[in-house]
Amino acid sequence: MAGTAVDERSAAIIAGIEAIGPRYVLMLPSSTLKAVVGHFLQAPGVQTFPVPREEEGVGILAGLVLAGQRAVMIIQDNGIGNLITALATFPQAYHVPMLIVTARRGGLGEYNSMIHTVSEHAEALLDAAHLRYFQLDGHTPLDAWAPTVERAYEYAQITHRPIFLLVNLMGG
Amino acid sequence: MRGSAPPSARLQRPDALRLIARAFPDQPVVLTLGGTIREMLAVVGRRPNHLYILDSMGLPVPIGLGLAVGLADEPGVERVVVVEGDGSLLMGFSVLTTIGLLQPKKLVVVVLDNGVYLATGGQPTAAPATDFVGAARACGLRAEQADDAAALEAALGRAGHDDGPWLLRVPVGTEAPPTAFFLEDPVVLRAEFDRWLASRRAGGA
Repeated sequence: MAGTAVDERSAAIIAGIEAIGPRYVLMLPSSTLKAVVGHFLQAPGVQTFPVPREEEGVGILAGLVLAGQRAVMIIQDNGIGNLITALATFPQAYHVPMLIVTARRGGLGEYNSMIHTVSEHAEALLDAAHLRYFQLDGHTPLDAWAPTVERAYEYAQITHRPIFLLVNLMGG
Repeated sequence: MRGSAPPSARLQRPDALRLIARAFPDQPVVLTLGGTIREMLAVVGRRPNHLYILDSMGLPVPIGLGLAVGLADEPGVERVVVVEGDGSLLMGFSVLTTIGLLQPKKLVVVVLDNGVYLATGGQPTAAPATDFVGAARACGLRAEQADDAAALEAALGRAGHDDGPWLLRVPVGTEAPPTAFFLEDPVVLRAEFDRWLASRRAGGA
């Protein structure tokens, strides 16, 4: 039975993260990525754990990378504001690669009025902090979603810096 | 645990740093921020097993936590030590809950608690009203207070021998000996630590 677009995109993100082969997945709560987070909470061979704040997650993720581990972090874009100083002073300054899969909020169909005020500025915040990002949304063919997740992780390794993958499961 | 040794008997921060470096000469040591780093450099010199976190307030413990989790199965590393200050710990205090959740046995957090933001002129922190040892225990860590040199040496010995995660609170004074700025490129600092860690892993326990 064919799933919804959200189901199909969630499955593609899961496939993309699995292709990376992480041993650790750090997560903050995300309603739009709940299927992805739920998958990795149950996935054998992957330790998935919550972090209470985005900047704490940046520190833990950086430590895991320095220990030679493969890991990714999943957040929502309304947490980007919390991340900037942590990213600028450690992973960017010390050249620690990391992939942060980031659920987009806000925009058409968003029900939470307060999320617009930060989420609509996600790209501007990342640009101002010189943080590179890639985007997946309704304009992206479904078969490109999973490979882009894996390529974004590889791009972080090649460029020795944090990389964001902004994913809009609602289409954007 | 909020009580401390009288000020006259307290360790100064450089004294505590010397003991920590001596207790863990061949284990990774994550060092917090400017003043503590400069004092460690002054008392023991530059060490390849020391990861110098120059300006990421609130992050040294999370970074050490990630290292301790990621090196859990690495026989060449027995402990991951984080030297943290009270102000920086309070900036990211939630990390105690994550340590409690993940229970990394190799993690040793040593909090040098002078009750002030010394590097910025001695403004007060909330540490005098905070029971670090009690909070750490409530989060599932093993925790002790060490009020003088002998107690700190003994506590570091226990933390090196018995599995953690550990938090050691060390009340220290506010003397700030003059030290030189440390202006090394962070990429170089990371590369030196990487090379040391790789050699440690290759050599095994």
